[in-house]
Amino acid sequence: MKVLKLSSVLACALGAAVSFAQVDTAHAEKFVIGEHTPLTGSLARVGTGSHRGVVTGIKVLNDKYKGQHTFELKTIDDESNPAKAVSAVEKLASQGVIAFSGGYASGVIGPASEAANKANLPYITFGGVATALSQRGHEGFFRINSAAGYGKAVVGLVSEMDLKSVSIAYSNKEATHKMAEYIEKKLGEKGLKVSTHEYDAHVKDFKSIVNKIKLRDRSEAIIMVGYESEYVGILRAANLLKPNVKAMIGVWSLATGKMAKEFPDLMKNVYGTAMLPFPVSFDKPKQQTFYQAYKANYEEEPSYLEQFGYVQTRLLGEAIVRAFDKGDTSLKGIATELRKTDEMTISGRVRFDEKGDNPEFVQRVGQHQGGKIPLVWPAEEKTGEKVFPGTPWN
Amino acid sequence: MELTAQALFTGLLMGGFYGLIAVGLALVFGTMKVINLAHGELVLLAAYIAYALESQTGLNPMLSLPIAMAVVIVAALVTFYLTNQIKKDRELNSLILTFGLGIVLTNGLLMVFSADIYSTQSSWFMEGVVIADSLFSMRSEMIAFIVGIAALGGLYWWLNHTWHGRAIRSVSSNRDAAKLMGMNPTKAELWSWGVAGVLAALAGVMLYVTSVIHPPVGHSLTIKAFVITVLAGMGSIPGVLVGAIMIGVIEGLTTTYFQSSLAELASMTVFLLVLLVMPSGLFGKKGAH
Repeated sequence: MKVLKLSSVLACALGAAVSFAQVDTAHAEKFVIGEHTPLTGSLARVGTGSHRGVVTGIKVLNDKYKGQHTFELKTIDDESNPAKAVSAVEKLASQGVIAFSGGYASGVIGPASEAANKANLPYITFGGVATALSQRGHEGFFRINSAAGYGKAVVGLVSEMDLKSVSIAYSNKEATHKMAEYIEKKLGEKGLKVSTHEYDAHVKDFKSIVNKIKLRDRSEAIIMVGYESEYVGILRAANLLKPNVKAMIGVWSLATGKMAKEFPDLMKNVYGTAMLPFPVSFDKPKQQTFYQAYKANYEEEPSYLEQFGYVQTRLLGEAIVRAFDKGDTSLKGIATELRKTDEMTISGRVRFDEKGDNPEFVQRVGQHQGGKIPLVWPAEEKTGEKVFPGTPWN
Repeated sequence: MELTAQALFTGLLMGGFYGLIAVGLALVFGTMKVINLAHGELVLLAAYIAYALESQTGLNPMLSLPIAMAVVIVAALVTFYLTNQIKKDRELNSLILTFGLGIVLTNGLLMVFSADIYSTQSSWFMEGVVIADSLFSMRSEMIAFIVGIAALGGLYWWLNHTWHGRAIRSVSSNRDAAKLMGMNPTKAELWSWGVAGVLAALAGVMLYVTSVIHPPVGHSLTIKAFVITVLAGMGSIPGVLVGAIMIGVIEGLTTTYFQSSLAELASMTVFLLVLLVMPSGLFGKKGAH
C-alpha cells in the first residue's frame, strides 16, 4: 500500500513537472532580429564594429532569457549601398524577422528604414544622425543617439575654450553636412566667427583647404566633421602647414583606441567625442555584462561602435519580450514598449521621444594624450585635464 | 598669390603621382586594348604588402618594393592569363572579367586586413619639405612625384630604345603585321603586363607612404587611372603625364578658389571638353579608338 502511495505521489509530481514544463514551453518564443550592416564597401570598418555590438546584444539577451526565449540574428551585408540595404530589409522581412537593429550612415538608413516601415517592422539604430530621419513620422523608427548630442559636445568644448574664430572642414555627406551646419549656427550665435570648407569624400590631399584656413581664415581652431581617413588627411596637411590654431577638434570616429594606436604622432592633443575614456575599465555591473559577452567572441577592445550596437539591440530585445508578454509583437506593440524605455545604459541614459529620438543623448569629449584618451568635457565627466592650447605640432 | 602657388605646386605633385598610378593601365590598354579594371586593386595590393611588412617586421616601406613587385607581377600575370583566355569580344568581355577580379581582390584584402585604415608608421615620410618659404609638401609626396616622373620617363625610354619595348609598340600598332614579322604577340603582351605590375607595385608603395589605405580605395584609383588613360590618348606615355598633371592642377585650383567638393566635377568637365575637341585624347592618333 505504501509502495502504491509513493508511486502515486511520484506520478503526480512527474505529471506536474511535465505540465509545468509544457506551460513554460508554450510561453517560450524564438525572436528573429534582422540586421543590415556594411560589412564591405566604404563603411565596412564602422559596420563591422556595429555588427559586433549587435551580436553581443543578442548573446546577452539569450543568456538573460535562457530557458524562456531565444533570440536569433539574421544579418545581410548591405555593402554600404542604399539600394542593397533596401533589398536586404525586404529579404529579411520576408524571412520573418520581428524587428531590425543596425544600419550605418544616414543615406543608407533612410531608405532601409523606409522599407522596414512599409513592412510594418520596427527599426532601431545609432548609425545615422541626420535630423530628417526622425521627422518622417515613422511609428517604428528609433535611435539611441542624435546629431544634437555630438553637436552639443563640440559646441560645449569650444565655448569653454573662449575662442574668437573657428574653421569647419566637413565632408559633403548628408550627416556631416547637417552636423557642420548645426555647429556653425550654434557657434555663430555665441559670437564666434565661423568659416566653413566643404570637401568631397574622394579628396586625398587636404593641403589646399588647410592653407586657406591658415592664410585666409586665420582661425583659432579647426573643427573636422568627417570620417577617419579624412581626419588623417586633414591632420597630416595641418601638421605640414602648421596653421596658427590652438586646437584640432573632430566629431565622431576620432577619439578611439584604434586611432591612438595607428597614428600616435598625428593624434597628439587632438579632441574627439567619446563615450568612455581609453583605455577603458568596465567596472560597473552593466559594463561588465557587456564586456564579458563581447570578449567571449572578440579579442579586440570594444569601441563606441560596439557599445552602441549592443545597447540598441539589448533595448530592442527587452521591448520585444515585454510586448510578447502583453500578447502584441506587432509594430505597434514593440514600438509602444520601446517608448516606455528609460534606462541608464553603458552609453548613458536612453529614453525615446515621440519621434523616436533619444533627447537624453549627450556625447562627451576626449583628448588624445600620450596614447591615452581621457575625457575632458563636460566637467562632471572629466577623467583628465585638457592640454590647451595644444596641437599635434606644438 | 601664395595660395595660387601652393595650389599649383600641390597639383603638380598630385599629377606626378596620378601619372604613376595610371601608366600601368595605359600600357596594357595600349598593347592589348584591354582596360584592366582591377588595376587600382593591384596598386592597393602592393600598398597592403608594404603595410604588412612594416607592421610585422618594422621594415621601411621602400624596402618592401621587391616583395611587393614580385607579388603584384604574379597577380598581373594571372590577370593576363585569364583575359587571354577570352577568345570573343575581348575588349568588352575583359572589362567584365577584370571588374570581377577587382571585386575579388578588394574582398580578399578586406578579409585579410579588415576594413581598418592604415598608413606608414614612419614619421620620416611625413616631415615637411619647404621650397622658397612658401611651397609645402610632405617628404613622401616629393618622393612619389620623383618616382612617378622617373617611372614614366624610364618607361618611355624602354618602349623606344629596347627590343622588348619596340616589340610591344609594334604589337600595339598592328598585331597581325608584328606576327608576320616573326614576333610573338603573346610574349610582348606578357611583358607589358609584367611591366604594368612593376609600375602598380611602385604606385602602391608610394600610396602607402603618402596617403591612407583601406579596401575601397582600389576602385577610386582605377577610375582615376582610367580617366587619365583616356584623356592621354590610347597608350601614350607623354599623354599620361600631361593628362595627370592637368587633372592634379585643376583639382588643386578648384579646391583653393571654389570648393574641394567641386574638384572632381571640374576635372571631369575638363576631361569631357578635351574629348569633345580631341576625341582621341591629348596625344592619341587621329582615327584611333
